[in-house]
Amino acid sequence: MKMRDRLLRVAAFTLGLLLAGAQGAFAAKNVLTYALSTEPPQLNSTKATDTESFFILGHIMEGLTRNGRDGETLPGVAEKWEISDRGATFHLRANARWSDGKPVTARDFVFAWRTAVDPKNASEYAFILYPVRNAEKINKGQLPVTELGVTAVDERTLKVVFEKPCGYFLGLTSFGTFMPVREDVYKAKGERYAAEAADLVSNGPFKLTSWVHGASLRMDRNPHYWNSAQISLEAIDIPYITPDNSARFNFFKAGKVDILAGLGKDDLPKAQSERMKMRNFSDGTLLFLEFNFREGRVTRNKKLRQAIAAVFNPQEYISRVVGIPGTKPGRGLIPAWLRGKKDLFRKEYPIADRRPDLARARALVAEARKELGVAQLPPLVWLTGDTPTAAKEAEYFQSVFKNALGIDLRIDKQIFKQRLAKMSTGDFDIVAAGWGPDYADPMTFAELFTSWNENNRGKYVSAEYDRLIRAAQATSDAGARMDAMAQAERLALEDVALLPTYERAVVFVMNDSLDGVIRHAVGPDPDFTRARFVSNGR
Amino acid sequence: MEMTPALPRMHEREVGTHPDFLPAGRRTAAQVISRPSLTYWEDAWLRLKRNRQALASLGIVSALLLLTLVGPLFWRVDPAAQELNRISESPSFGVRARVIEEPGTYEELTRSDWPESPAAPERALEIPRAIGLLDEPSILAVRLRWEPVEGAAGYVIYRSDRAPEGAGSYGVPVGEVLGGNRLSYEDRFNLSPGEYYYTIVAKNGMEADRGITRKVVLEPGISLADAQLLRADARVGEILSLPSHPLGTDYLGRDLLARLMAGARISLFIGILAPLLWTFTGVLLGGFAGYAGGRVDGVLMRVTDLVMALPFLLFMILFKVVLGGGPGESGIVPMLLSMVVLSWTGPARLARGQVLQLRESEFIQASRLLGASPAWLLFRHLLPNTLGVILVSLTFSIPSAIFTEAFLSFIGMGVVPPTPSWGSMCNDGIQRFLTYPHEFLFPAVFISVTVLAFNLLGDGLRDALDPKMRSVS
Repeated sequence: MKMRDRLLRVAAFTLGLLLAGAQGAFAAKNVLTYALSTEPPQLNSTKATDTESFFILGHIMEGLTRNGRDGETLPGVAEKWEISDRGATFHLRANARWSDGKPVTARDFVFAWRTAVDPKNASEYAFILYPVRNAEKINKGQLPVTELGVTAVDERTLKVVFEKPCGYFLGLTSFGTFMPVREDVYKAKGERYAAEAADLVSNGPFKLTSWVHGASLRMDRNPHYWNSAQISLEAIDIPYITPDNSARFNFFKAGKVDILAGLGKDDLPKAQSERMKMRNFSDGTLLFLEFNFREGRVTRNKKLRQAIAAVFNPQEYISRVVGIPGTKPGRGLIPAWLRGKKDLFRKEYPIADRRPDLARARALVAEARKELGVAQLPPLVWLTGDTPTAAKEAEYFQSVFKNALGIDLRIDKQIFKQRLAKMSTGDFDIVAAGWGPDYADPMTFAELFTSWNENNRGKYVSAEYDRLIRAAQATSDAGARMDAMAQAERLALEDVALLPTYERAVVFVMNDSLDGVIRHAVGPDPDFTRARFVSNGR
Repeated sequence: MEMTPALPRMHEREVGTHPDFLPAGRRTAAQVISRPSLTYWEDAWLRLKRNRQALASLGIVSALLLLTLVGPLFWRVDPAAQELNRISESPSFGVRARVIEEPGTYEELTRSDWPESPAAPERALEIPRAIGLLDEPSILAVRLRWEPVEGAAGYVIYRSDRAPEGAGSYGVPVGEVLGGNRLSYEDRFNLSPGEYYYTIVAKNGMEADRGITRKVVLEPGISLADAQLLRADARVGEILSLPSHPLGTDYLGRDLLARLMAGARISLFIGILAPLLWTFTGVLLGGFAGYAGGRVDGVLMRVTDLVMALPFLLFMILFKVVLGGGPGESGIVPMLLSMVVLSWTGPARLARGQVLQLRESEFIQASRLLGASPAWLLFRHLLPNTLGVILVSLTFSIPSAIFTEAFLSFIGMGVVPPTPSWGSMCNDGIQRFLTYPHEFLFPAVFISVTVLAFNLLGDGLRDALDPKMRSVS
């Protein structure tokens, strides 16, 4: 009898398991699977600097506003606002809540913004808050953080005072650094804040439920999110993190991920033979070579930098090496898609196509050697990422440098986090860098090469450049701002502070039944918050 | 053995004269050594020659050495030279191409009487009625034109290398024009000889489901500027023979054969030098430990145990990082050093065991009694007698060293670009294995064949050098 009893129990248990499994299969249709190319290095929103981190933060957090389908600003935690040349007042919605159920208050924003500009925090994105009164002085340690021009009038009213008129401030409020942070959690966790999934609270459409470093992430729908009813996805599951394009392609082909944010060059023929529906998207990112201007680096020599610029052949590079259709040659610091006074910035301030000039490059290198007083230039260290694409691009330049200029290139491949660290400490001669826009204004690129910007990795310093950018930031007159930024851009290009290589485009594929995925040039990309499965595809 | 003539006579006298016990006549003929006596090495060579596998392997190994040392003298192609318009080409001989002129300036076709950005229409956009070419398409540029579509605010241009099978299979979106009145597109993107199917799809916010397709065939061609680099007096219209690539090219248009030869240098250099070095070190230390015995032996053997207990690959990578110098510097010397540091233990133990065994044998004792010095004993008796075993272990360690190098280069811990190595070539090739299999297959085959050949050769040598298996016939 006893035996039979046990058997019955086992049978019941097995049946239960099966049912649970079946249920899981039904629910899985509402879970979007995705693969990241690299581990997000930093989920502390006051310190994050990179696209992967902002992709996660954009789904688990929400700022005062958020970006819509066409880049327009939509209400987020703030339901309405008044904005003027002097400042802004944001009215927070009553039902905005953290993932632990507590309300999102104006104090959470004040704390986050103060933390971001606090010199002790050493955030590389502190500069983005400089439009707020006293932010720059606080960041330089001249004033205490309490002097920051942002106050919580009451639980649900946030008042911001500007340092000077800022035409693009509203666009900033959706950006990662402006997202709220809960003071009690931040202080309780200390250094561990946002180090693990359990070490942060979120107020966005999703919450981070699992984070296995270097391996996987999972974001589940946040039931406390004020607009949770509008979120269709149960969860965003990221079971794979790999820099290898072709591995990610195989995940997609095998149906293990629902969307591939960017196909590698070598995957295009495969996707063609698989007859996948391919879409094109310009992600707004500018790729460029950044030179190291620190003491003791040969790249300080202008003639050398000019020689490198003169030898670069954008047509060949884009078509044969980068190999992603839709890629545009990088002409200047400001990418072609940004708007200027009335029309596109680039149309208003055109820059001619770059053409390689070998004879001139060789002459310049000879002059550079003379100026540096060396018979042979030392090998240059080329810092780049660990993706196969980055390696290929580096090998192309290695051959060009060797053949045309007689310069050896040492390729230093590093994982993303390590590359960022080496870029900050200046452990390179040339770095293959990229910059994605933080907001839809040319300033997001123009400000990059100012002496006070932590993201100016090469430490290019030009008083004139700084002056022009300050002038552009001090006015809200579009004409004067654009003129100043165009001048600054010309100056940076003349000095070869950077060598723009290309404006990135991606070719992507996704599950046919997936709808509502938004690709943003500004903001978290891809944006899955409004994604849904329309039919039982695949 | 020489017969002593005195002995039989003594017998004769003592045993008597029974016919059965008559002394045998001196049959000196039987004692003549009719064939030349074989030394140890001659015999080993004889036996190796009888082993077909080993002989074939020896042939392969010699061919590899020849390829590495002599090959570059005949195949004078720079392994680092990039031919960017011939990326990932399959093996080819003497491809012929027509020299073509750089096409004239491209002028976009627009219709001023057509709206540029109309409001999105209620019903779905139609398919363009016609698609054509502005001028003769070539490998340098394809210029398309099409008829406008009512309500379109732009057009998307797709390109595929196979005929589309309806919506969604138009291939790669190569470009997009914004404006319903702009009716042409110049495609210069990564063109190569072959067939292309271009599809134009109208767009206004949303893309139309279907488009119009046209096939374009591109002949092999070479621009005048590139042709003049090959031959200074090249002229437009002439047919030129392009450089051959017997094993194809890689992802940057570099010649695979030249790269494999250069890679063979690295692989064989490490594969032969490293085992030589570590075997030499090991034999020296092991022989010394075995000969000295006692406490010296104890200490040395405990060190050996320690080194043997280290996880090989992990320490290999650690050593490489520590010894590796700056980023992007060649990793060959550090790799060599770390291999020696980690691998000398095997031969050391082997030599010690052999020496211990031999030390007590009679001929050594006799030699010692006769007053031989330790050096004499070591170099005259001990080392030569262990040589066979050591040689065998050496031949087996060569393939393992080649494999280790290939593996380390494969995971990016070995050679640095632009130096090719078989391992790093495999790593580059495997990412595009499905599209361009030759980039992966050739280096992989080279690694496999080399490792197999060295292993079989080692097998043969072991049999040949084993004194217990000396030929009887």
